[in-house]
Amino acid sequence: MTNTIQILSIEKTGKESSLQKEHNNKSIKIIDGYFFSTNLDDQKFTKISKLISNDVSQTILTKKNVNKVLSSYSNFNWVVEIKFLPGVTDNIATTVKEIIKDNLKSSFKSFELGSTKIILIKGRKEDITKISKNEANPLIQTIKIYPFKKYLNNFKKNQFKIEKVKLPKKKYSKKEINLNISDHQLSLIGKLGIEENDKSRRGTLGLDLESLKAIRNYFSTIKRKPTDVEIETLAQTWSEHCKHKIFSAKIDDIQEGIFKKYIKGATEKIIQLRKDNFCVSLFTDNAGGIEFNKDWIICHKVETHNTPSALDPFGGAITGIVGVNRDCLGFGKGAKPIANTYAYYLADPNKKYQLYRQKNKDPMLPANFIAKGIISGVRVGGNCSGIPTPQGNVYFDDRFAGKPLVFCGTVGIIPKKIKGKLSHKKKANPGDIILMAGGRVGKDGIHGATFSSEELDPNSPVSAVQIGDPITQKKMSDVIIRELRDENLYSSITDNGAGGLSSSIGEMAKESGGFIVNLEKVPLKYNGLYPWEIWVSESQERMTLAVPPANVKKVIKRFNARGVEATIIGKFIKKEKAIVKYNKTEILNLNMEFLHEGYPKLNLKTSFPKIKKEKKKIIKKSSLIDKLHKLISSPNIVSKEFIATQYDHEVQSTSIIKPLQGEGRVFGNATAIKPLFDDEKSIALSQAAYPQYAETNPYDMAGCSIDTAYKNLIVSGANSKKIAILDNFCWCSSDEPDRLYQLKEAAKACYDYAVAYQTPFISGKDSMFNDFKGFDKTGKSVKISIPPTLLISSIGVVDKISHLTKMTPDDGDILLVLGNTLNELQDSVYSKIIGYEKSKNPVVNSKDALRTYRNFEKANKLGIINSAIGIDLGGIGIAVTKMAIASKKGLTIDLKLKNKISVDQFLFSESQSRILVSMKKNKLANFKKIFKGSDYTIIGKCTGSNVVEFKDNKKIIRGKISDFAKSYKQNIKGL
Amino acid sequence: MNVLVLSGYGINCENETLHAFEVVGFKGKIVHINDLIQNPKQLNNYQVFAIPGGFSYGDDTGSGNAMAKKILTNLYDQLIDFSLKDKLIIGICNGCQILINLGLVPSLNKKDPEVAMIENKSGSYECRWVDVKVNNNKSPWLKNISILNLPVAHQEGQFMIPINLLKSIKANNLIGLQYINNHKKLAKGQFPFNPNGSKDDIAALTNQNGNVLAMMPHPERAFYHYHVPNWQNNTSKKFGDGYKIFMNAKKFFA
Repeated sequence: MTNTIQILSIEKTGKESSLQKEHNNKSIKIIDGYFFSTNLDDQKFTKISKLISNDVSQTILTKKNVNKVLSSYSNFNWVVEIKFLPGVTDNIATTVKEIIKDNLKSSFKSFELGSTKIILIKGRKEDITKISKNEANPLIQTIKIYPFKKYLNNFKKNQFKIEKVKLPKKKYSKKEINLNISDHQLSLIGKLGIEENDKSRRGTLGLDLESLKAIRNYFSTIKRKPTDVEIETLAQTWSEHCKHKIFSAKIDDIQEGIFKKYIKGATEKIIQLRKDNFCVSLFTDNAGGIEFNKDWIICHKVETHNTPSALDPFGGAITGIVGVNRDCLGFGKGAKPIANTYAYYLADPNKKYQLYRQKNKDPMLPANFIAKGIISGVRVGGNCSGIPTPQGNVYFDDRFAGKPLVFCGTVGIIPKKIKGKLSHKKKANPGDIILMAGGRVGKDGIHGATFSSEELDPNSPVSAVQIGDPITQKKMSDVIIRELRDENLYSSITDNGAGGLSSSIGEMAKESGGFIVNLEKVPLKYNGLYPWEIWVSESQERMTLAVPPANVKKVIKRFNARGVEATIIGKFIKKEKAIVKYNKTEILNLNMEFLHEGYPKLNLKTSFPKIKKEKKKIIKKSSLIDKLHKLISSPNIVSKEFIATQYDHEVQSTSIIKPLQGEGRVFGNATAIKPLFDDEKSIALSQAAYPQYAETNPYDMAGCSIDTAYKNLIVSGANSKKIAILDNFCWCSSDEPDRLYQLKEAAKACYDYAVAYQTPFISGKDSMFNDFKGFDKTGKSVKISIPPTLLISSIGVVDKISHLTKMTPDDGDILLVLGNTLNELQDSVYSKIIGYEKSKNPVVNSKDALRTYRNFEKANKLGIINSAIGIDLGGIGIAVTKMAIASKKGLTIDLKLKNKISVDQFLFSESQSRILVSMKKNKLANFKKIFKGSDYTIIGKCTGSNVVEFKDNKKIIRGKISDFAKSYKQNIKGL
Repeated sequence: MNVLVLSGYGINCENETLHAFEVVGFKGKIVHINDLIQNPKQLNNYQVFAIPGGFSYGDDTGSGNAMAKKILTNLYDQLIDFSLKDKLIIGICNGCQILINLGLVPSLNKKDPEVAMIENKSGSYECRWVDVKVNNNKSPWLKNISILNLPVAHQEGQFMIPINLLKSIKANNLIGLQYINNHKKLAKGQFPFNPNGSKDDIAALTNQNGNVLAMMPHPERAFYHYHVPNWQNNTSKKFGDGYKIFMNAKKFFA
C-alpha cells in the first residue's frame, strides 16, 4: 500500500541541466511526485503509474527500488519538496485526476491528489536552501527541506501528505455592518477590511473615507444597514481598477476629466474630421474594434498585471495573458484570439536590490526571479492556448525594482455579422438566464481589483494571486467561438476578471436593467467559502453568458460535451435592481444607479513638478566601433531573440512578418499576421513606451510613444488610414499633484498627436499606483516609484502582401535617412552608457513626421523602397548596424555632416520620426520627386562586404558585422 | 478523399491543418475527440486521420501522454484497425508526441510505447525554422521529397530511443526526417540546426508500412510561400515546403 507515486527521468532533463549549471553542481535530480488522499493497492499503483509515466524515459520509484535507483545517480544528502499551498490551482493534478477517472472509471471514485516537485542534491544545506529559493515561491507553495535519509524514511512509511483546503465549517448568517461609527473606524474598514466576529479583518477594500460616507448616506436614506456583501460589491465596482476614477475625475479646470477630454475626445474629433470611419466599437466593450475587411472586425486590448506579477511572477503573468485573451472572447459576441502581445518593464536582473515589504522581513522576490517568472508565465499561457505571440519588447530600469510592469495584449477577429445580426452588439435581455461557464470558484485572488489599485505595502493580502489554467480556458473558448456563437445561442457575454461575478454580472445587467443571482448555485472548488467570497472571487477561466431560457439546455449540453462546466446561477431582470441571494436569504439589494455611479467623484489638482535633470556624466573616450558595441549589447537594445524563440509565433499559420527578421535574425519593431486564408490583407502590430523620457518632459514622452508606435506600422507597410492605437498608462503616486501634472501633460499629448496623425484610440487601461513602499536591507524605509510609463500599442491593416517591407538591403542599394536628425541625446541610451553632454530631449514635430510618413507610404506602394527600419533607441548608428546584422551585408556610411552636428550626435541622437531606408539606385529619381520638400539625407550604400564602415574626410573606421552580431546577440546578464 | 482532423483538450492547429488538406483536394472535418469516442464508426468515412499540433492537456504528465491515454482507453482498437488498412495517419508536433505515446510509431513490437519524447536539450521551448532531409524512406507521406524547410515549435521534441530499438529502426528504415545543418549535412546534434538534441537528428519516425508518420516539424505552417522567413527575397513560388507533404497524401489516393 502506498499513497504516493514518484517518477524519475532516466536521462538528465533540460530542467536538471539548467539547475546543475546554475548551481554549479552535477548531483541534482528532480522527481515528479503525486500524493493521493487515499492508499493505493499494488494493482492500482501499477495501473496508475503506467497511465502517468513513460517507461522508456522514466522510472517509477517503489519502496523496493528507491534506494538502489537513487544511489545510482549520486549520494544525495538533501531534499526539497515543493507543493502548492492548499487552494492554489494545481493544473497537473487536475489532468492526472482526469486520466485516472477516464481509465479506471467507476472502480476508483473519490480521491484527492496533489502534484509535487522533489529536488535531490548532494551538497551543503545552504545549497538546497538556495535552490529552493530559486525554484519555489513561498506565497503559493510550501517548501520543505530535509535530509535525504528522512526522505527515504517518509517514502517507506507513506508519510507524504496532500494538504487540502481546510476551511472551518461555517453556517452563513446574514452579516450586517454598522457604518454609524467614527471616521477613524470607518477608514479602518476601507483600509483593512470588514471586521469578522473574531476581530480579524478580511483584507483591504480600497475604499476611502468619502466613498464609505457615500455608502453610509445611501443606506441611511433607505433606512437599513448594509450587508457585508453589499460593501464588498461596492468596493469592487468602485475600485480604481474598474471605474478609473482618476481618469474620469475633474482635474484642475478640466470638468469632464482627462479620459473624456483627451482620449475619447481625440477619437471623437478624428471621427468628425475623417469621413472614412473604420472604428466599430470604442471604449465600452472589453476590447476596441476596427474594421478589417468587408466581412470581418478585428479587436485589440492590452491589460496590465503588475502587482500580482510582483508577488508571483509566473502566476501573475500567465493570468495576465489568459485574462486578456478573455477580453477578446468577451468582445461583442465573442472574438477569436489570433495574436498576443507583451511588454515587460523590469529591474536589472543582474542586480540584487534587497527590498523588504516589512522591516527585515517579507522580502521582495529577486529581480531575476521576477524577470524569468514573467517571461515563462506568458510563454506557458500563450503557447498552451494556441495563440501566436509575435509582438513584444522588454525594457530594463532600476526604477522597476519595486514593481515590474507586465503588459499583455490580445488581438481578436470576429465576423461582422452573425446570422444577420451585428456581432459587436450584444444585449442581455430581461428574462435571460445568467450562465457561468468554465472553471470553478475558489478563494483565488479575493480582493484583486481593490488591491491592485493600492500601493504594495505590508498589509497587501497574499491571497490576491491567481494562477491561470490555459487548457480549461481553451476548452471553453473552443465551445464559444466554434459552436455557440455562430448559432446565436446567447444574447450577451463577458469575461470574469477583476471583481469576478460581482463585476461581470453588474456590467452586463446594465444592458437589461438588473439581475437576481443565487450564489449557492455557483460551483465551488472546495467547501467553506463565504457568500461574499464567491461573489468577488477572481478564479480564472470563467465567462458569464446571458442565455435566452429556450436555449439554456442546449448551451449547457454543448459545454458539457466538451468537458466544460456550465451552471445556471440567476437571471437578468428589467427592474434596475441588483439582487443577490444565498439559500433564499437576500444578502444584496442595491439600485443599479447607485452601484455604478454612486461613488464620490474626485476633484484633482495638479502642480508643476521639479524636473529631475539627468546628472552630467563625462563622456567616456572610446572609438566609434567600441561605442557601437557598447550600445548594441546594452540590455535595452540587445536582441530579445531568446524570448521570441520560446514564444510560439507560428501557430495558426498566420505569421507573415516574424519577430526575428532577415537571415541574421534581428528582433523587429513590428510584426504582421495574415489572419484569413482567403484574403491577402494582414494585421501589423507594434508598440512603444519611453519611460526614460518621462521625468524630463511627460508631454514629449507621450508624443514619442505615439510617434514610434505609429511609425513602426507605417514602416512595416500598413495603410495609414487603417491604424488605431491603444493607451496603457502605468503611473505612480497618482495622489500627488506633481504626478498628476505629468499625467495631464501626457494625456494632452495623446490628444494632440492622435488628432494630428488621425489615428484613433480604440481602447485603453490604466494602473495608477505603481509604487513600492518598504525597507532596504538596513531597515531604512524606502519608496520606489516607477517612472511614468505610457505604452502605446498600435494595430493596423496592411492591404497587400506586396506592401510588407523587410529590413534587409541588397548589394548596391543606396541608404537614406528620412526625417531630420537634431542634437537630441538627452535621456538617450547613449547618454546613459557613454555619457551625457548638453543636449535636448527628443520632441516630435507632427507636421514634419506626417510628411515623411505619407511620402514613405507612397514610395513603398510604388515599389521604390527596398528595405526599411524605424530609427529609435541608439539612433542611426544602431539602425545601420541592425540592418547590416539582419542582411549580413556590409554598409558604408558617409559622415559628411551638416547642421553643426557632431558625429556622435548624428549617429546616436534619438530624434523621432526617422526611418532608415534603402533603394536601388535607379529608383532615386522617382524617390526625389515624391520626397520634394521633405527632409532626407543620403548617408551611404550597401556594399555587400563583411564590414560596416564609417567614412569622413580623413579616415575610415570599420567594424566586422560578425562581431556586431555577437555583441547584439549576447545573453542578458542574470537571465 | 476525406480527412478527419482531431480536436479537443488543447489541440490547437486543427484549422490550419484542415486548410492544408483542403487546398490539395481533400474534403475534411474537424472532429472533437469526445464526439469520436461517442461514435467511432465515423472513422470508416475517412481515408486520412490527422492529429494536429497543440498542447493537449497542457503537456501535463509529459507531452502527448494524457491524450494518448484517453485514446488508449477509448479508441485504441479502432485506430489500430485504421492503421492496418490502406489509409494514412499523420501526427504533427503534439500529434507526433501522441502517436509515439500510443506506440503506433514505430510499432515494431506492437505493444506499449517503445520510444519516448523528452524535453529539448536546451531546456527551453524552441520556435524556429529548421531544415530536414528525407531519408530513403518508403512512406507515402515523404515520397519524392529530399529536403524541407519547416518550423518547429516544441518543448519536448527529443526522441529517446533505446539502443537496440534504434538499430532495428534503422534496419527497417523507419526514420522519416533528420535535421541537417546549413551545409545540408546531418546536424549531428548541433544546436540550432538540431533544435532539441534528438539522437541521430531524428525529426520524424514512421511505422513499418510507412502509412503512419509522426513528425515534430509543422508542414502546415510552411504551406504558402509567405510563411517562409524572409519570403520577400523569393516571391516566385506560391507554396512553401510543407505543401509537399499534403500533396503526397493526395497522390497516394489519386
